Amino acid sequence: MNHTLLRLIIPGVFLTLATGCVTSTVDEMVFDEPSEGIGDATVVILGRRHASDYETEPDFIECVGKHIAARDKSIEVIGELEFLNALYPWFEPRTAPLKPSDIDKLMLQRPVAQKLTALKTEYLIWIDGSTVRNDSAGSMACGIGPGGGGCFGFGTWSNDADYEATIWDFTDRAEVGRVNTKATGQSYMPAVVIPIPIIAPVQGTACDGIGEQLLQFLSGHY
Amino acid sequence: MSGSMIFAPDWRRALVVLGALALLAGCGPTEVVVKGSFPPPLLEPLPLTLGVWYGDDFAHHEFSDEATGRSGSSWVVKSGEAQVQMWDTLLTGMFDRLVHLDDRPGPGQVTPVVDAVLIPHVDELQYAIPAHTNVKVYEIWMRYRFELVTTDGQPIAEWTMSAYGKTPTAFMQSDQAAVNLAAVVALRDAGANFATLFTRVPAVRDWLQHRPQRRPRHAAEVQL
Repeated sequence: MNHTLLRLIIPGVFLTLATGCVTSTVDEMVFDEPSEGIGDATVVILGRRHASDYETEPDFIECVGKHIAARDKSIEVIGELEFLNALYPWFEPRTAPLKPSDIDKLMLQRPVAQKLTALKTEYLIWIDGSTVRNDSAGSMACGIGPGGGGCFGFGTWSNDADYEATIWDFTDRAEVGRVNTKATGQSYMPAVVIPIPIIAPVQGTACDGIGEQLLQFLSGHY
Repeated sequence: MSGSMIFAPDWRRALVVLGALALLAGCGPTEVVVKGSFPPPLLEPLPLTLGVWYGDDFAHHEFSDEATGRSGSSWVVKSGEAQVQMWDTLLTGMFDRLVHLDDRPGPGQVTPVVDAVLIPHVDELQYAIPAHTNVKVYEIWMRYRFELVTTDGQPIAEWTMSAYGKTPTAFMQSDQAAVNLAAVVALRDAGANFATLFTRVPAVRDWLQHRPQRRPRHAAEVQL
């Protein structure tokens, strides 16, 4: 029993120690926060994908949605792909509304207005940004021979995450809030026979930061 | 040595052949057969019966690219099946009725009763992977050409349209999977572009405004 416990605790402690450090900052601007939460309305979180040199990662959007839904079970977050498919082709990168007033034009399409009413979508949150890897350094050599193989060396890199969430109110056709989060962290990979990655959870920290701020906006309990 | 190969048991020969094939397969081009699912469009259907004809070059569309250096790899991107799947889904949702034609319409052809026939072509396809551009996105760009013709093949309109899809480098995702995803995004973009552009193409708009109204069909004709 004690051995089993030790087998679980030691890797757990090791993994806790073996994560790089992350620095995160969150800025928030809120213009019109719902005082009682969003009630039985739904919220959808979409990634902006207009830029040519980066793409807001779908898994980041999913992470923020899960963060909100997990902490306040009363908030229904519609999945990004589910929403994009249900409203195809009106929220594709080429056709998506760029400003809240564009929703009026979209509502002129009767099937679109009916679908949005059916989905009870009150807030649309656009997230724009990405996580990039910078400043890689170090070197590592790996070899394999009849007696076995292994690696030797050291690598390090930094990850920078920069995301901005813009909250649109579908009913008022207005932007009602904006949250910006930046996170940076250094990851390391020393290798003596076996490479040991010490990864800084930069994107996860940015997801928690932006998710927490959005939760404060959307939830009546926060 | 060669003698032992000649009289080797069948299973050994099979093993040698399989090994050789496996080695040769490693030298072949990277092949991507584009697969995806495409949603129907959320639109008021246009009151038209549209015929569509997919030529062989479209229905079996593929793009190949030879490696330029020893470190590069050759690619074959087969998008024909996904193209047909996407356009069928889109056009079915965009028009009252969609009819598939077996042949290109022309004088003397027996064509079902349709208002017009759409003939799509992929004129050009380009792709980029991070190894080409040093930017961590996979990209597909396509240029389509559409012909809208009457049932006897007379041109109504012809126009071109581009489509673009990209996807970020994803952890534990192969180049093939990423190129496939970029192609699916490009096909969705093609559908979105076509759906919002179709009635704004000047020649199509003129035709829609001035086209002769077909007489209502009898029930028997509808069933045919």
